[in-house]
Amino acid sequence: MMTTAVLRRIGLGGITGSPIAIAVALALMVVLLAVPLGHNGYLEIVFRNILMYAAMAYGWNLIGGYTGYVSFGQVAFFGAGAYCSAVLSAHGIDNLFADVALACVVNALFAVVVGLPVLRLKGHYFAIATLGIGLALSDIVANLDALGASSGLAVHHVDEAHFYVYYYAMWLVALATILGTYFIARSKLGFAFVAIRENEEAAAVLGIDATRYKITAWAISAMMAGAAGAVFAPANGFLDPSIAFSIDSNVFPIVMAILGGVGTVAGPFIGALILAGANELLQRYFIKIHTLFFGAMIVIVVLILPRGLVWLFGLKGGARTWLKSLTAFKA
Amino acid sequence: MTAAGQTAAGVALRITDVGMRFGGLWALSDVSFDVEHGSVLGLIGPNGSGKTTLMNVVSGVYKPTTGSVTYDGRRIADVPTHAVCHLGIARTFQVVKPFASLTVRENVAVGAMYGRYGGKRSTRASFERAQELLEFVGLARVAERAASDLTIPDRKRLEVAKALALDPDVLLLDEVMAGLNATEVEEALELLRDVNRRGVTLIVVEHLMKAIVSISTTIVVLAEGRKIAQGAPADVLASPQVIEAYLGSRWVKRQEQLRIIAAEREEAARMHPPEAGA
Repeated sequence: MMTTAVLRRIGLGGITGSPIAIAVALALMVVLLAVPLGHNGYLEIVFRNILMYAAMAYGWNLIGGYTGYVSFGQVAFFGAGAYCSAVLSAHGIDNLFADVALACVVNALFAVVVGLPVLRLKGHYFAIATLGIGLALSDIVANLDALGASSGLAVHHVDEAHFYVYYYAMWLVALATILGTYFIARSKLGFAFVAIRENEEAAAVLGIDATRYKITAWAISAMMAGAAGAVFAPANGFLDPSIAFSIDSNVFPIVMAILGGVGTVAGPFIGALILAGANELLQRYFIKIHTLFFGAMIVIVVLILPRGLVWLFGLKGGARTWLKSLTAFKA
Repeated sequence: MTAAGQTAAGVALRITDVGMRFGGLWALSDVSFDVEHGSVLGLIGPNGSGKTTLMNVVSGVYKPTTGSVTYDGRRIADVPTHAVCHLGIARTFQVVKPFASLTVRENVAVGAMYGRYGGKRSTRASFERAQELLEFVGLARVAERAASDLTIPDRKRLEVAKALALDPDVLLLDEVMAGLNATEVEEALELLRDVNRRGVTLIVVEHLMKAIVSISTTIVVLAEGRKIAQGAPADVLASPQVIEAYLGSRWVKRQEQLRIIAAEREEAARMHPPEAGA
């Protein structure tokens, strides 16, 4: 009873989440434009990775957050996108636009083909099946000589002086995923996704072809992850299955979206900034036990802020309401 | 024009020998009846008589084991569930199913977006339509609230508004008045009459006898998955078979007792007239 009373006062922030949080996220994006100006190669990579994880988190947010199908297979799309760039590079094509375009097309098709059977599953079964996609693809690639098998292959690399190109490419990919999520959430499509998440049977009775819209969500989410992979591969200069299908690339985006706020426009980006930033600092100062702090942080945040950080932006009455909600959740 | 004129007066839904089996249980068997365009059909029967199953068959959620339901000549079992509302058939759920994290207005707008004329509506037009319907059902005051915040009567109203957002010709109402108090039932009936006046055919499943009698033009009675009676409300309720099956033998017995008590009172009054006591 108490919980609902508090939640009522806080408000839901609508289908996009708090508009203040979106403004904050976009402002931070503008600030991130300045990173390469510092000519600090390390920082540039750190922030490029944040943007990369953010783009993947947006991909996950669309299928897991908005549509309610918790996928553990987004890394498959990231890896597929990365290998698209590697293949183009092996054929002498050195163009980031071509990389991203190919990754999007390949991933959309891949998502439709895989989605038709997999999206019939729900809940845990869907999660397990998607986990299998990433593992299977990793093993397939590791056995394909054309893709360098498990020893990997070099991907074209612009000279060091123009390294910022990859940073800005990743920035653009991340921006596209944020804006894409915003416009999708506000469109008819967004309402179909949320209706499916809330109650698939009721959605069908309202005329929503659940299969079609689930596959749409899954395909767009695959394109988002694939675009990030397509920029990552040449930026990294080298690709092998353990890099392309790493467990970090699978888990980080999910945790980031949850930390920031599932099913919101600003959440994944804010989650990515905080989580990747914290991870970087913990690694720097507590290299041996940084995963312990990292894990503890995730547990605490999920316990005290189950609806994500973006939720705080929508609070009426600020921290006091939030503290009240904590006691309410316990009761 | 002539075709439209004919259908307006004729049969909207034709239910032919519908049977529905779940494992070894026939929840429905050999149910047949027609629903006229513009009418209000009341569907009654004891608990477990198959009313909700029939609703699920008509709305395309279940495919019948035998027989068929046709709407303007089209078999409903041939179209997928999500396309049934595009034919012009909408329904409400007995257990209300609002999209809890969306606002009341957004809930209704989803129907307007994907219903029968959804393809032609922009997001903005859908929200405008939703607002109209919320005013019509009396939910405009809570349009911005989360659907999960609504009281039971308001949730029922929301179900009706969501179904109306699909622009249906036929509306199936599965116990929209259950759990409402007397005043709320009156309001709900008024709302349904209004909907029917706008040309929407209604199929109403309800336990409240008074409500169903006052709104229906025809009543169909189900018992143990079979149709046991059909006709005008007064005739159906007078039928001994219905009284036996639906109201039960206890009701019959109580009527008998009441008659005896009334007779005894009359007898007593005759023996001791009030003037004698004065």
